[in-house]
Amino acid sequence: MINRKLAKASSFRYMILACILILLAGGLVLLPKYQQHEGIKPQELLGRAISPERYISTDEVASLIINQDPSYLFIDVRDEESYNKYSLPNAINIPLDKLLDEDFEAYLNQDEYDVVLFSNDHFYANEAWIICNRLDYKNLRVLEGGLNNWFHTIINPTKPTENMAATAFELYSTRKAASMYFGVAYPEQVKKETVPAKKAVVKKTIVPVKKKKKMPTEGGC
Amino acid sequence: MGPLIPNGIIPEEWNSIIAIIIGIFFGFILESSGFSSSRKLAGVFYGYDFAVLKVFFTAALVSMIGVLYMDYLGYVDMTQLYVHPTYLWGAIIGGVVMGVGFVAGGFCPGTSLCAVAIGKIDAIVYVIGIMIGVFIFSELFELFEPLYNGYFYGNITLMDTFGVNPYWFVFIFSLIAIVAFLVSDFVRKRTKKIFY
Repeated sequence: MINRKLAKASSFRYMILACILILLAGGLVLLPKYQQHEGIKPQELLGRAISPERYISTDEVASLIINQDPSYLFIDVRDEESYNKYSLPNAINIPLDKLLDEDFEAYLNQDEYDVVLFSNDHFYANEAWIICNRLDYKNLRVLEGGLNNWFHTIINPTKPTENMAATAFELYSTRKAASMYFGVAYPEQVKKETVPAKKAVVKKTIVPVKKKKKMPTEGGC
Repeated sequence: MGPLIPNGIIPEEWNSIIAIIIGIFFGFILESSGFSSSRKLAGVFYGYDFAVLKVFFTAALVSMIGVLYMDYLGYVDMTQLYVHPTYLWGAIIGGVVMGVGFVAGGFCPGTSLCAVAIGKIDAIVYVIGIMIGVFIFSELFELFEPLYNGYFYGNITLMDTFGVNPYWFVFIFSLIAIVAFLVSDFVRKRTKKIFY
């Protein structure tokens, strides 16, 4: 009796399998579509955003440039016009609206250099930082305060008043020396040396970056 | 998350080991479902046995539906999967040669090795034929090279060519498959029963 029932049910087995196949395939059509989440998880992004590693100070940048550290890339995210007026030495211009262009991907999405993003203030640079971090690009920093802060601290450092600590004076003299490197002439220095300090030419070199090749995994029948 | 090996979840070194294990199971399943018999394989061309059509069609469908579901749920990144490159005329002419060989010899290259493993003499002859074919092809490679490397269309899929939504494509494809199964059953009932 049981066997006969079983046989009766199993005579439909191909029908049942066909129905399962159609149901599964139809389910794919009916699935609600959603934009697949690209990039890193929100928690991770937040973790990176509040990390103190995110910012780099102008003093650090100045010493990197003076020591000609080859492991850093400076990327100017302002528009081309402002970049042509003034930028950090050896900086690369990637305007914010062209940030995701394929030509520039090799500069941002790599693991060999540390990238310092900067703009006039640090807001646009932060925007670029967020976008690139969501795509899980590595080693990105933001110049704290941007170029405005760069002018206030390095190019035109404020003289400490007499009642300030000795460290402030030390910092001032370091910054003053740095500003001389970047071509600022001080009156007392000009008097001493008859040779006027030359305005350093902002060199715009292009650092070659190997383009990452995405190799497909090979296989086949 | 996936695919597992390109994303480093399984180390690269396991690649060949896993391939060998999967290969062993593939051969075992081919043999246990009777695919090492040239009569069964050739049956699909004479209309008395459609097991080959059903098995490979079902396998393609199951894997397609499975990959799409896993991609939807985020377990596999479909853009990272290997897509076989298309060399149009090479594929067409190669397909014709392979089809003629299939009907004439009663094996496809994979099943012939399976049949060699269980000691079938016709399969041994068939594999020797494959070797001779490989030899001729390699010796005359310069002649065949424009065909071999030409008409390259990149790693395209049917969905790219027709520009259709993959989900709809799979749905229509499974309907076609089930119709094909029904038709093949119908044909099989009409043809003379052959015992082999």
